[in-house]
Amino acid sequence: MIFSRETIAKNVFLFCTLASTVTISSILLFMIALGLPLFQESSFLSIWTGPWDPYQGLYGIRPMISGTLWIALPATALSLPLSLGTSFVITSLGGRELRRMLGALVRFMTGIPTVIYGFVGIFLLMPLIREGFGGAGMCVLAAVIVLAILISPTMILFFSDSLLSVDPGDVQAAKALGADRAQRLLYIIMPKALNGMISGFILALGRALGDTLISLMLAGNAIRAPRGFLEPARTLTAHIALVNAADFNSLEFRSIFTCGIALYLFTTTAVIAVRFIGRKKSVMQ
Amino acid sequence: MQGFAEKAVVVFSWIMTILLCLFVFLFIGYLLIQGLPSLGRELIFGQADPLQALLGRARVFDGIFPAIVGTLCLVELSATLAVPVGVCSGIYLAEYAGPGMKKLSGMFFDILAGIPSIVIGLFGFSLAVFLHNHFDDRIGPCLLISSLSLAILVLPYIVRSTQISLEELSPGIRRTGLALGANKLQNITYVLIPNALSGISSGIILAVGRCAEDTAVMLLTGVVATAGVPSSLLSQYEALPFYIYYISNQYTNPEELAGGYGASLILLGVCAFLFMLAYGMKKHLSYWTLYRA
Amino acid sequence: MLIKTKDKIIVNGVSFFYGRNQVLDNIHASFAEGAITAITGPSGQGKSTLLGLFNCMWDEIPGARCTGTIRIRLGDMWVSPLKKDIPMPLLRRKVAMIFQEPNPLPMSIAGNMAFPLKLAGVRDKSFIEEKVQKALAQAFLWEEVKDRLEKSALDLSGGQKQRLCIARALVLEPEVLLCDEPTSSLDKKAAGIIEDFLVSLKAKCTLLVVSHYMDQMRRIADKVMLLQDQGLSQI
Repeated sequence: MIFSRETIAKNVFLFCTLASTVTISSILLFMIALGLPLFQESSFLSIWTGPWDPYQGLYGIRPMISGTLWIALPATALSLPLSLGTSFVITSLGGRELRRMLGALVRFMTGIPTVIYGFVGIFLLMPLIREGFGGAGMCVLAAVIVLAILISPTMILFFSDSLLSVDPGDVQAAKALGADRAQRLLYIIMPKALNGMISGFILALGRALGDTLISLMLAGNAIRAPRGFLEPARTLTAHIALVNAADFNSLEFRSIFTCGIALYLFTTTAVIAVRFIGRKKSVMQ
Repeated sequence: MQGFAEKAVVVFSWIMTILLCLFVFLFIGYLLIQGLPSLGRELIFGQADPLQALLGRARVFDGIFPAIVGTLCLVELSATLAVPVGVCSGIYLAEYAGPGMKKLSGMFFDILAGIPSIVIGLFGFSLAVFLHNHFDDRIGPCLLISSLSLAILVLPYIVRSTQISLEELSPGIRRTGLALGANKLQNITYVLIPNALSGISSGIILAVGRCAEDTAVMLLTGVVATAGVPSSLLSQYEALPFYIYYISNQYTNPEELAGGYGASLILLGVCAFLFMLAYGMKKHLSYWTLYRA
Repeated sequence: MLIKTKDKIIVNGVSFFYGRNQVLDNIHASFAEGAITAITGPSGQGKSTLLGLFNCMWDEIPGARCTGTIRIRLGDMWVSPLKKDIPMPLLRRKVAMIFQEPNPLPMSIAGNMAFPLKLAGVRDKSFIEEKVQKALAQAFLWEEVKDRLEKSALDLSGGQKQRLCIARALVLEPEVLLCDEPTSSLDKKAAGIIEDFLVSLKAKCTLLVVSHYMDQMRRIADKVMLLQDQGLSQI
């Protein structure tokens, strides 16, 4: 009786696992199935690199890829020093009370909904940019600044975590040799924590690439590859969000799936890279 | 020279920290100053009588009551769909799966946790269109499709946080029940799950917070600006985050904008509370859960 | 009066591998019924592993492999744990185990004590109460905790916790009790009480005690065995 109950439970658990696996895999299959005809109709390369001009029948997503990179890369680059400095203070430079408060603040930041970052960005940041630099205000720069703040908690938490996981014995040894806080951080802790910090950086980059709302609300959404920080841009994610065709067979609709596949590839590469780095670290230990 | 570099690092770190804090306080302070005055009965219920609205007798036209109800329905439905399946999968992966399957599934769910939410929204959208074209005209983007998409969105977190909290348990705890003659299922239900409960539930709370705030998924799967309180699973609905998004580019007068600030404050309060609660329950959450766009 | 002791456990040619490492090599031994056998030896030589073979706890370690036979007489029946000819939960109810760190579960004292009975499917409340009281009394613990049975077991002192864990194992009336350094996390006084307690159990079960302390073994053990260089020998 008890044993049969155990078998039933095991099978229920197994069933749930299979169900969730199948459900989630179907997303990729769905996207490939729907995006496939586009690859067949025009040449494979032109979708990725070609321009967007629906009147000419051209549905290349290059402007969107370019927009995504124009926003995500500078945002990550801007977030890096912010996160690096803050995580240094959280893990070693600050006093105990300050560290605790900063930690709580960073965790609080992870709980702020994206749409609120966007909302405040529109009404607080946009006027400043309009006055300072001219133009409409909706531009790459606005999205970059807000996005940099949005992704910084991810980076800070990962950075602090890897910095704190360094063997305290090593740190004590350096302390005994007369190294001060900054020296211990730079010469002992940083080199050992590097792998974990790279993981955090890649994950934050993935987050920046995949973010929809900030660029949708702040970047202006013009379908044209931006040539400067004050120009509007449309990201892959915003392009998907702005879909207004409901006809499966239209090329425009299919191009959206190409965007989806591109995003899928970007983020999957990021995750695999992080797992690879994590594995190397464990082998070294 | 070296002394200079070290000093520079310290100064740099403090400047960056102050800069970040400044940004955050500016954001929150601005929101508070703009939003606090608009908080009140009027914001939620508009001109309608609160009691009548709560009982469903009166429609609220100019308040965010329908959006709040819509968000609650959404969260409730997606949690109902995702939590049981997710927790059971996590248990299977932690306790029954072999090492090969563990490795593979860990990779799999981590990748899925990293898919941008808009892609999952796109999936929900195309599913709705597909069902509409092939099965029934009445199906379109709706509450059910949204909940399903959100459930898929948060499923990997629930699976992984359940799995990780169970795997983190010390071998000592694992042995206790077994040495007393528990079979595997008894050990899981009586010993392992109660001990991993804080981790599992904080994963669920984070998932709920995500469901409440993920605008990108809702955007493509049936949220609209005016729908009233949702009447069925197949109807369109309003939601708080979408309301905020909508106000930000469609507002026509200062009152509507003030409503947007008020709604932002409410959503911020709810989400921040959920996240802090989750952190309070389990100090060391796996940061994978934070990483979704 | 001469009491002829019978063998309770017979170990025959047992080798144990963990991954590529061989931990135990071709072990032969027998353990007499109603006696306390102490097992000692340098740390890291697999004493705990050996103990875990008798109730199949090694089963939970990934990458472990075991050859040879172990036979345990439960009642009138011989069972072979390594061959798994008895369901694991049943085996572990009769071959109980005490760990180095006391491991009360995060529930009340009464809850901890009734837990093994609950696992075994016992529902009768008065029966449970009677068993719990009896086992606590055996552990010299009844007087100390009878007024706080519903309080958390985690608030007890280290020695009390360990006695609670032994009492908890005794609720099911095991025939063999495996003790893995049961006193090493306790102070001397608490350890002394546990030692007396273990000696008092000889009438009911066969005890295998892993220990580091020579004086302790001299006090309680009928036989001392040394586990060294992958082999077991009597000293």
